[in-house]
Amino acid sequence: MRGVSNDMTQTIGIPAIDLEALRQAIQDEYALVADQPEHGFHFLVGRPLAQLLGYQPDWLEGIPEPTIASFAGTGNPFSAGPLQPGEHVVDVGCGGGIDSLIAAKMVGPVGAVVGVDMTPAMLAKARASAVAARLDNVEFREGFGEALAVEDDWADLVISNGVLNLMPDKDAALREMARVLKPGGRLQIGDILVQKAVPQSAKEDISLWTG
Amino acid sequence: MTAAGFVGFEIHSRTDVYAGAEQSSSAANFGTLGITFRARKAVSDDEWQAALLALSCELPQASGV
Repeated sequence: MRGVSNDMTQTIGIPAIDLEALRQAIQDEYALVADQPEHGFHFLVGRPLAQLLGYQPDWLEGIPEPTIASFAGTGNPFSAGPLQPGEHVVDVGCGGGIDSLIAAKMVGPVGAVVGVDMTPAMLAKARASAVAARLDNVEFREGFGEALAVEDDWADLVISNGVLNLMPDKDAALREMARVLKPGGRLQIGDILVQKAVPQSAKEDISLWTG
Repeated sequence: MTAAGFVGFEIHSRTDVYAGAEQSSSAANFGTLGITFRARKAVSDDEWQAALLALSCELPQASGV
């Protein structure tokens, strides 16, 4: 099921960009979101953003405020379909953990959630919030979306929110999401839609990836 | 999406998540919107192959030219 492309599909080219420099720029930006969410960014953050995206008040009940404050998603994965008690969920690019914690509440104590993120400041916030919220069915792992530390066919659902657009090799990221999903498993993603063509020069400008 | 093993791709919702942000964004230059989409992993190779085949777009054969 993996790693196959043929002449009926078109994969998106990977921009010629310094991957390490891009990841560092993204980490710097999102460490600032984690540590100073009131700083002011080119995207909305926090509770106002969650409300704009249709997050229900009961979903946020019990979620520690520091995690809500650093929410920086672009969509609402939970609006795309319900989660069931006992399900396994992977949150790719979990950030401060808001979606992982909401998912942990929804799947309940028999379910399990794994959040993966590459930014240590975000992971620290997510782990602290899980303890504060007394949710012990959620675990946070450091890593990249293109190489998830999750076994094959483990998840019933993969969620992600505002992260896929930050990964240059989207094909690899999507294949990795497929790898960890069970056959028939669901993908519910918040991300961005670009309605105008982006010049190659812009794709290779790291400052535009984070700004 | 299909090449990665997914079927049933669907955009569920669209939201302007950049309006009102404190800093201006280059995203506006490209008509960028926040979206939520969903899909599911194919349940079998047969389902996946069928989805790949459905992506093919054949032009009608010209006649009498």
